Amino acid sequence: MNSPLSLSRRQFLQKSGLAAAAATAPLILPSGLRAQKAPSKQITVGIVGSGNIADSHYGALLGDKENVRIIAVCDVDRERRDEGAARVNKTYGNKDCKAYADFRELNRRDDVDTVFVCTPDHWHALVAIDALRNGKDVYVEKPMTLTIEEGRALVAAARKYNRVAQHGTQHRSMKRFHDVAEFIRNDGLGKLHRIECYIPPNNRHVGATWKPEPVPAGLDWDMWVGPAPWRPYSSLGSHYNFRFISDFAYGQVTNWGAHYLDIGQWAMNADAGGPVEVEGHGEFPSSGLFTNATNVDFTVRYANGTPMFCRTRYEGGGTSRFVGERGWLDISRGRMSASNPDLLREMQAPGKKIQLELSNNHHDNFFSCVRSRKKPIADVEIGHRTTTVCNLGQIAMVLGRKLKWDPVKEEFVGDDMANRLRGRAMRSPWALT
Amino acid sequence: MSEKKRPALDPAAEAARNADRKSNAGPTPDPWEACATLEYGGDRSFAWSVREQVVRALPEEKARAEQSLLKALGRKDCTEAGRAFLCQMLALVGTSKSVAALAPLLKDPKSADAARYALEAIPGPEVDAALRDALGSLSGNPKAGLIGSIAKRRDTTARAVLAGIRENPSETPIVREAAARALDHLTTAKS
Repeated sequence: MNSPLSLSRRQFLQKSGLAAAAATAPLILPSGLRAQKAPSKQITVGIVGSGNIADSHYGALLGDKENVRIIAVCDVDRERRDEGAARVNKTYGNKDCKAYADFRELNRRDDVDTVFVCTPDHWHALVAIDALRNGKDVYVEKPMTLTIEEGRALVAAARKYNRVAQHGTQHRSMKRFHDVAEFIRNDGLGKLHRIECYIPPNNRHVGATWKPEPVPAGLDWDMWVGPAPWRPYSSLGSHYNFRFISDFAYGQVTNWGAHYLDIGQWAMNADAGGPVEVEGHGEFPSSGLFTNATNVDFTVRYANGTPMFCRTRYEGGGTSRFVGERGWLDISRGRMSASNPDLLREMQAPGKKIQLELSNNHHDNFFSCVRSRKKPIADVEIGHRTTTVCNLGQIAMVLGRKLKWDPVKEEFVGDDMANRLRGRAMRSPWALT
Repeated sequence: MSEKKRPALDPAAEAARNADRKSNAGPTPDPWEACATLEYGGDRSFAWSVREQVVRALPEEKARAEQSLLKALGRKDCTEAGRAFLCQMLALVGTSKSVAALAPLLKDPKSADAARYALEAIPGPEVDAALRDALGSLSGNPKAGLIGSIAKRRDTTARAVLAGIRENPSETPIVREAAARALDHLTTAKS
């Protein structure tokens, strides 16, 4: 196995920017070393992970030439990083954007202001924390982290290094989701009975067994696996499909759940807390490559008794329904409807007592906060709390029992096994510290 | 001494037993033992069965689950995939009773990560001692991972040895970096 960290000391020091002080300097950049660097007019971006989800960022970022400039792209797959860098350079008409195989090299560039973390989920925390440690502001794709422990560590790093950290839950920057959350917060539906969240189905059937395959040329598989438990390469268990394998992700629970449960959290005014109870039943495959629940069904309950459930919907994609004493509201990316059209009209009426922050563009909001140093609309704490709700559901489904959750201590009450599932040891040399 | 009378089987059970005698299929393996020889990509149905028993173990059943996992882990034919799985299960039900079996695995670079999958989650000073003790046996990446586990467990008694590693020029950069980060992490931990 190749060592992902087999850098020579000289390489390490160069990459850490510490070569000049090699003899006696500590190996870690001190906190806040770059913390006060003010971005120039154009904010520079490095993209780590140049696959499926990065595609959704390239277009928007490259279209904002006045304010944003992508100067570095990283992927452990040579083909992907070269394609990403070529796309950037073609748009800008130069060759300035560099491609990297190792995110640490990108994170140590002094001229990178912000890092977009677009890797598979099991890498989010480590890449983001390394970027924060090196003075970057970060935009972290959803789910913010794989585990609850990672999420808390990422929040701590953002605060420690005083950086802006946006969670990639862009529903927060879509007006219709804002309007629904605000309407619920102002008791627009009267007493809220429940929140129903539906997510697309998990997994695809690929047989009861799978065969390890040779690693394709140009792919650093050891680095791809990174902190997750080791497994040999398989073409069905890597790019994109990683989300169906619980070593790397929790499937649609975190992929789409992070979006729809997030709006529930917003509507429940739970951005700094969360539910107090969870129970669930998942149908997990007993054989085959994919290990996440094929059928998801869990319910979290908030302290005021309001339940929010998350279930697989086999047709129609993700959606949320808010059900209250005055009727219901359905919302998804494509449409919004209500049991009574008056509810939609009331929702648009001005002068609500509780007014939620309005952002109409998730990227713009992030870059605006990079300049102002304010917290973004989906700040890292909010992202962590939403990702925690996803994790609570996953853990309840794995254990198959009702669990009590203390959102202040971030502990399950009276269930040692559930608490152990809040985190997991990482494959060496990776660590959360 | 009177001979014990065998309880009568109901007819259906008797028929099943007779049919089983005629079967040309092999005996059902112990699923716990079968997990030891798990292969990447192979049939994981026994592992699934064990996982279900572990996660649903009642408090009084956890000790037996731990014993069964340790017994399988001790098999000479334990595969890399099997060891990793068994240790991941021990992460859920393991106690200080697992330390004696896991400590030697922790000192072997080929099995150190798997041992940490279990040990990092098991509470108790015995685990902290085993982790510290393995520092002298490992080098390079496995040692960096081990240091990360020590830091995550907030073992402040490891400060001095970690400081020594950080300053030791014969350690690899990644190990020294891990030690430096661990020390930084431990500064916020209670003594």
